[in-house]
Amino acid sequence: MSQHETATDIDASLDTRPVLTARGIRLGFGDTTVLDGVDLTVQPREFIAIVGASGVGKSTLLRALSGLLPPRAGDVSIPHGQGPDSRAGSMVFQAPRLFPWRRVRANVELGLEGLALSRGERRRRALEPLTLVGLEDYAERWPHTLSGGQQQRVGIARALAVRPRVLFMDEPFSALDAITRRRLQQELIDLRQRTEAAIVFVTHDIEEAVLLADQVVVLGGQTTDRPAGVVAHHRVTLPALGRRDHPDFADRVQAIEAAIGQH
Amino acid sequence: MNRAPRTLLSLCGLAGFLGLWELALRSGLLPGSLVPMPSVIPGVLWAEIADGIWLEVVTASLSHYAVGVLLGSALGIAVGVAAALLPRFNAVHAWLARLLRPIPPLAWIPFAIIWFGINPSAAAFIISIGVFWINYFASHSAVRSVDPGYDEVARAFGHGGFLARLTRVSLPAAAPGILGGLRAGLGQGWMTVVAAELFGIPGIGQRMMEASSLLATDIVVVYMLTIAGLYALFDFLFVILQRRLLRWQP
Repeated sequence: MSQHETATDIDASLDTRPVLTARGIRLGFGDTTVLDGVDLTVQPREFIAIVGASGVGKSTLLRALSGLLPPRAGDVSIPHGQGPDSRAGSMVFQAPRLFPWRRVRANVELGLEGLALSRGERRRRALEPLTLVGLEDYAERWPHTLSGGQQQRVGIARALAVRPRVLFMDEPFSALDAITRRRLQQELIDLRQRTEAAIVFVTHDIEEAVLLADQVVVLGGQTTDRPAGVVAHHRVTLPALGRRDHPDFADRVQAIEAAIGQH
Repeated sequence: MNRAPRTLLSLCGLAGFLGLWELALRSGLLPGSLVPMPSVIPGVLWAEIADGIWLEVVTASLSHYAVGVLLGSALGIAVGVAAALLPRFNAVHAWLARLLRPIPPLAWIPFAIIWFGINPSAAAFIISIGVFWINYFASHSAVRSVDPGYDEVARAFGHGGFLARLTRVSLPAAAPGILGGLRAGLGQGWMTVVAAELFGIPGIGQRMMEASSLLATDIVVVYMLTIAGLYALFDFLFVILQRRLLRWQP
């Protein structure tokens, strides 16, 4: 390793190299290959949305990228991943899946257990993201006393607490009612100003993808004897603020809908 | 139905039963040699306590009970949880469990005597068998029915190892079922405690045998009620503990 690379390793935040690189990912179950030849590069602080028809393997791909599921072929790397007090990646699930036997704060501490943190530091590191999602007053509550939207906010806080390089989100808002979904989408846009993490976000809602992401990756193209793959990359160059009201918003959505439809 | 009238009705039912019983004996409808009159029981209980017999036999039985219940519960939970989490262990022991399960605890008395002699260990052993099976089945099915989604969360947050998942997911998630098994085991323990002492190990069971051979049915009833009281006390205390441990439940 050269002198120059060692220097950039020390200050990872100055590093402009990709935070996640996936090459030739193949996924399947049983004798079936669902998804093949997926390449993906995530830049620091980038927000990537993965869209595609249901059954195309979006969530499975996310699990492979996050290390929860070993791919059948290909490899995923998250350079400068795990630190002494942080984890390479963390996941927000579709259902919040909080542990009902832990209070809210203890749920957020889950990923911090096992890191080099004292009890006090762990507590502080859990309250930080809880404040970010506006639930610091709920820290000592039991999960079942929270609404669905609040529970998903705790799920987001739990994932942010480990200061991940990449935050994986698996249709995190799809189980919520429309009003709560809109509010949480806005909160996620605001949250991006205050977190270093890059985000890989799976959704079947194309408007949501265009609203939130810098880059939309479209999966599709499967036939009876060919697995799905990446069929299009769309850069969303609209300004983050008030994006939904931008005159070009509908065009971008239509372009991606067309990309899914063609394949 | 409201709580107060229900309690009142329950009390009336019990008092009515005792009243009819007393009346049947006093009127000569039932021969006094078969059952004692309820009204004599408090006096007999007091005599047993004053003689020091009551405390002695209750202490002896409690020690058999405690050892048997602790041993049976600990082993039952350990084996039940292991069988639910480790497919290979489950396969190895499955037929053995099916073979041993239907054998009633009292059928082990001959072996208890051969292995331990006529002493407290033999009684504790017999008590532990019934308690073991209850805890084994309760914890096995409780751990098996834990939502696998929780395991995925644990793995996603760096707790993929067996021990980490056991302590962070399997045990707390299965706690309601495991505690239910423990509570049932506390009851089951009292069922076998008397029988386990019938073959000469000092305790409540032996005292009841002595009394019945002298046709002292009043003493037999005193100890029947003692067991009922002890069971109620243990169950009450356990429910308090259970509520405390499961206060996270809606």
